[in-house]
Amino acid sequence: MRWELSAEQQEFQSVLRDWLARRCPSSRVRAWLDSGDPAEFEQDFAAEGWSAVGSPEALGGQGGDLIELALVAEELGRCAAPSSAWLGSVLAVPVLASTPDVAKELLADNVTTVPVVSCDGPPAGHALVESGHGITGSVRAVLGADRATRLLVPVRNSGFVLVDTESAGVVVRRRQPTDRSRSVADVELAAVQGTAVDAEVGVLADMASRAAVLISADALGVAERLLAMTVEYSLQRKQFGVPIGSFQAVKHAAAEMLVTVEAARSIVYMAAASVQAGHPEAALRAAAAKAQVTARVSALADTALTLHGAIGYTWEHDLQLYFKRAKLTERLFGSPSTWNERIATELALVP
Amino acid sequence: MDFDLTDDQHTIRKAVAELAGKFDDQYWMAKDRDHEFPTEFYDALASGGWLGITTPEEYGGHGFGITEASILIEEVAKSGGGMNAASAIHLSIFGMHPVIVHGSDELKQRTLPRIVNGDLHVCFGVTEPGAGLDTTRITTFAKRDGDHYVVNGRKVWISKAMESEKVLLLTRTTKFEDAAKKTDGLTLFLTDLDRDHVDIRPIPKMGRNAVSSNELFIDDLRIPVEDRVGEEGQGFRYILDGLNPERMLVAAEALGLGRVALDRAVRYGNEREVFGRPIGMNQGLQFPLADSLARLDAAELVLRKATWLYDNGKPCAREANTAKYLCADAGFQAADRALQTHGGMGYSEEYNVARYFREARLLKIAPLSQEMVLNYLGSHVLGLPRSY
Ligand SMILES: Cc1cc2nc3c(=O)[nH]c(=O)nc-3n(C[C@H](O)[C@H](O)[C@H](O)COP(=O)(O)OP(=O)(O)OC[C@H]3O[C@@H](n4cnc5c(N)ncnc54)[C@H](O)[C@@H]3O)c2cc1C
Repeated sequence: MRWELSAEQQEFQSVLRDWLARRCPSSRVRAWLDSGDPAEFEQDFAAEGWSAVGSPEALGGQGGDLIELALVAEELGRCAAPSSAWLGSVLAVPVLASTPDVAKELLADNVTTVPVVSCDGPPAGHALVESGHGITGSVRAVLGADRATRLLVPVRNSGFVLVDTESAGVVVRRRQPTDRSRSVADVELAAVQGTAVDAEVGVLADMASRAAVLISADALGVAERLLAMTVEYSLQRKQFGVPIGSFQAVKHAAAEMLVTVEAARSIVYMAAASVQAGHPEAALRAAAAKAQVTARVSALADTALTLHGAIGYTWEHDLQLYFKRAKLTERLFGSPSTWNERIATELALVP
Repeated sequence: MDFDLTDDQHTIRKAVAELAGKFDDQYWMAKDRDHEFPTEFYDALASGGWLGITTPEEYGGHGFGITEASILIEEVAKSGGGMNAASAIHLSIFGMHPVIVHGSDELKQRTLPRIVNGDLHVCFGVTEPGAGLDTTRITTFAKRDGDHYVVNGRKVWISKAMESEKVLLLTRTTKFEDAAKKTDGLTLFLTDLDRDHVDIRPIPKMGRNAVSSNELFIDDLRIPVEDRVGEEGQGFRYILDGLNPERMLVAAEALGLGRVALDRAVRYGNEREVFGRPIGMNQGLQFPLADSLARLDAAELVLRKATWLYDNGKPCAREANTAKYLCADAGFQAADRALQTHGGMGYSEEYNVARYFREARLLKIAPLSQEMVLNYLGSHVLGLPRSY
């Protein structure tokens, strides 16, 4: 068995990493977060063609699949990029398989389109109802909704409806998560009109698995960054006349972080490949990734903070960006226990 | 608040440590290896008068409280005798409590002085194959026949039965299904383990091998009414009375075991040199041992509080359970870390820590599992719904 990224994928990853290092350094990330407006980043990212990676060419993408998307998510996590619009959009793409024109507008023309599912739990359910007058209902905490031009609304018993955020009856209320690199909004619809989109049964279940994989990949990127920062700091900071990294307890804690990173990488890419291939255990593996990786990375962030001492507790230090991102990631689209519960229901256990 | 031990308690601690210290590692290693009861140790404690530490003075004992008893048993475990030493005397120290509180004067006169002088060995027969933690489910049945009871049934895990003349035996005199309450209809006896009617078979087990634990097959054992403890049908309540102090003693044993394991780990950490320096210089080894010290100290405080509450006649169930839980946990963790500190040598019998490790593991299971402590704290202390 040989398990590694292809040469092409590795090349892609390193080009993207370099690009992000230049275009998305923490000074700019902080500016976007402070102003609450990451449009500059979103446009730059799309203009460079990155957002089309990992989606089929027939839908306006550049080809590649969930593995490439995971690579993107990992890199975005590594620099705490304001990536909610991107993540919302790539989750919407598979729903638009039957409407390539809409998908093309999304991928090629940067018309941000996000599914109206709550990120409080795994994507599921059709909470909104369509009556003669249009769609009515509300959904809490929709990832990237405040960044979107179009909303892809799941409607009870009738697939999805594509709605313009400018349409009458649409209210999008921005919320401010502690992790300011994510944007989330509540969506309220009152007799809203839109265009029906045919989607296959199971598209939401698939969306759940894809979200789980991509969030976990984001966590992996965050973890790698935290590890790198921590090792660097432990070599630079001196106490008792020596770098703190020479203390064994510090070394061992960093080594444990590395174990988390390596385990996370194996889990994430295994899950990505499984979901992409429609493996019979794809949903289980995606759930395992979401539950295991995000929980461990959240703990890793605690260790990173501990090893930085008081400096990590300051606003000035970049650690806070990644720390908060790791903490939200753990809960985004459902906590580890929610996903563990999904795994448990799939296993032959006592009910 | 006063954290000092009394003069008596100091004296007890010192004297027991001295006496138990006469039995060295070699002694316990051999007893454990040969599955041989530590008679010399038991006799030494008996002739020193220690077995009667809690027995009332009128029956030849000293009438001390559970605080003193726990100090005694902790020192015994800590001497390196571990659970082999503790189990050899455990029942003499406090096991007669139901008899002292509820037994007839005649029964007490007949048995307690012999417990104190060490002549009478007893074991405690509660657990059955079909009833572990769920004690009221026992089925060993005592049927009244004139001035006798006739007992049939099976017990399991009965420690020291091989070596015991008598058993404190819990039976049913009303079947579970016929009892008004499930805690009704159980009757306690202190009676002879008549080998003609009780087949005793030791269970091969992981550790604490100087003291046997046995299966008992009881076949028409005739027990005179005089051997009944208290009233018929009240046995479960009598046992319950003794549960909190029992937990404290077990906690003290776990604590002593943790302490000796930690001592050995520290000694080895200072002595053993690898990569040109003592291994204890590595934070990877030093920190877990320091952590164990902190946990043992914290667990000890809860234990001291629990025994103080009990001796002062105050409610103590919460503290007794917590002490058992924390001491068992800290004790096992210390033993585990001691073993790790010794590396490959930890796995050999030569350094004793493997023995402590096996023994410490027991205290997370018996006489009460950690899970049952959490059940108690969860439902009785926190007020959450009972989960089982
Ligand atoms: C070396 C040794 C010596 C012993 N000596 C004696 C002795 O002298 N006299 C005597 O009477 N007994 C003795 N015992 C028995 C001991 O008291 C029991 O083993 C103990 O009470 C546990 O009962 P069990 O083994 O039947 O476990 P079970 O009751 O079968 O429990 C098995 C597992 O299930 C868990 N469990 C059960 N119920 C619940 C619940 N409601 N909630 C959550 N978890 C639960 C337990 O915690 C445990 O992990 C001894 C045991 C050993 C190993």
